[in-house]
Amino acid sequence: MIIESRELRLRHRIPVNRIGKYWKGLEEGKVYKTVCRCGRSYYPPRAECVCGNQTDWVEITGKGIVECFTVVHSIPSCFEWSKPYRIVIARFGDVRVMGWCEDEVVVGDEVSIFTAMDGSGVWKVWFRRG
Amino acid sequence: MKVGIVGVGCSKFGARDCTLQELAFEAVSEALKDADLAQEDIDISVVGCVGTRSYELMPAVVVNEYCGFSGKGPLRVEAACATGSAAVYSAFSSIKAGIAEIAIAIGVEKMTEVDTATSAAIGGRAGNYLWEHHFYGTTFPAYYAMHATAHMAKFGTTEKQMALVAVKAHRNAAKNPKAHFQKEISVEEVLGSRVITYPLKLYDCSPISDGASAAILASEKAVKEHGMDAVWIESIGFSSDTSNMTMRESFVGLRASRLAAEMAYKGAKIIDPLNSLDFATVHDCFTIAEIMAYEDLGFCKKGKGGEFIEKGESDFGGKMPVNTFGGLKAKGHPLAATGIAMVYEIVKQLREEAGRLQVDLKHYRALSHNVGGTGHFAWVFIFGR
Ligand SMILES: CC(C)(COP(=O)(O)OP(=O)(O)OC[C@H]1O[C@@H](n2cnc3c(N)ncnc32)[C@H](O)[C@@H]1OP(=O)(O)O)[C@@H](O)C(=O)NCCC(=O)NCCS
Ligand SMILES: [Zn+2]
Repeated sequence: MIIESRELRLRHRIPVNRIGKYWKGLEEGKVYKTVCRCGRSYYPPRAECVCGNQTDWVEITGKGIVECFTVVHSIPSCFEWSKPYRIVIARFGDVRVMGWCEDEVVVGDEVSIFTAMDGSGVWKVWFRRG
Repeated sequence: MKVGIVGVGCSKFGARDCTLQELAFEAVSEALKDADLAQEDIDISVVGCVGTRSYELMPAVVVNEYCGFSGKGPLRVEAACATGSAAVYSAFSSIKAGIAEIAIAIGVEKMTEVDTATSAAIGGRAGNYLWEHHFYGTTFPAYYAMHATAHMAKFGTTEKQMALVAVKAHRNAAKNPKAHFQKEISVEEVLGSRVITYPLKLYDCSPISDGASAAILASEKAVKEHGMDAVWIESIGFSSDTSNMTMRESFVGLRASRLAAEMAYKGAKIIDPLNSLDFATVHDCFTIAEIMAYEDLGFCKKGKGGEFIEKGESDFGGKMPVNTFGGLKAKGHPLAATGIAMVYEIVKQLREEAGRLQVDLKHYRALSHNVGGTGHFAWVFIFGR
């Protein structure tokens, strides 16, 4: 015999003020990392370095190299609006970036980075081959 | 002062028709019986549960009450899929600190109270929600699949080699009455199964399981006083890594596993694991995970994990029998129960009570390797009897 629990609705409100430039950048077609004068670079970006200094925002440009990827067919409930999607991690100099990619890729391929809204209205990072 | 395992229990794994606390009690009562102890003899209880997939969101006291431990702890621990090992460590620490003489570590998980898509959405949050799951819908299988594509590209590891891990797991689990899946499968069935997240297919994945396990730990003094039979914890190694996958050193192994193993080997003065241990239980939540574990634990060189399984080195009679009870892949992977189910397997094997799955013992020493997340946590224990 099975009974059902009462429903618990969860949607968190996430304050991203300190890293707000990242979200604004996505809408402007820019992907930012942060760098510190101590030599550390951060992607995902963070406003303060582990050394304690404030970091500076630097745009990620140029070509990336695919280090790994997958195509998700067993889709989590919060992405049920999507068809199967390809997740790629590519290296851009001293940082790696995760993004979606509609082109077929293999490890070692060159990709370029861009931003776009996904089917749920969220701006994010995408790659295209070449 | 040494600390030993004096009693173990493990429920049947699979889709279980009972509540979290009832499931926990199955393992706890078996462990108490095994140690010939009663609830009164336990000084502190540690309850490991990842939770969220089961209706009780703060389950420690619920489990504790049902098992008859009210007043003794409980301490709740969570380290994703390595929760069981973290629970054993907490029990071990309370004995080492002199606060307890006898402690119980319980690992329990009900994963089947929500559907698969919800389970994937919860599991995908085991890394870094804000930067990964939120934007890109990462899932647990996806994280390991990304390691698989990197390993395949760098070392030529094949889907067939990964399939062999699943075939071995199912072959062993077929003889384990507590396993989630008790049926053998073929390489062709694995390769032909539906893609979950490329290149991982259905049979490359551990299932969504309910299950519980428990281990009773005692000080050397208590072992003598009660005249108990102990499997000793010789050493413990632990490490962790970044929550963000993009910040890792590489995708062809888990640095946390490597560092935890180094620490455990050093503690137990092991230089060559192949000539010091009789067998190992490793974290094979996905077939690629077992291949990487062979390498990260030093059973073979980096990149040679595919060959290690192909040559049967991780099978009975091989250089290092691995996951003799069927592994997470086929025995099942009820997250928090997994690390303690490894202890259960090791104790049964070292006492030569493993029946049809018994390995030949020479050193009377074995290793457990339990990963949380995708190398977000790693624990390695060395046991001896
Ligand atoms: C792979 C996965 C998505 C399959 O779930 P699903 O699509 O809901 O599959 P279903 O439950 O519909 O099962 C379909 C059939 O496959 C079987 N099956 C399910 N998962 C299986 C698995 N992992 N291995 C082998 N068989 C499996 C079922 O028993 C069922 O068989 P039946 O038709 O004979 O009854 C799911 O098992 C999963 O998410 N696994 C990973 C769990 C995880 O991430 N754990 C944490 C890792 S550290
Ligand atoms: Zn700095």
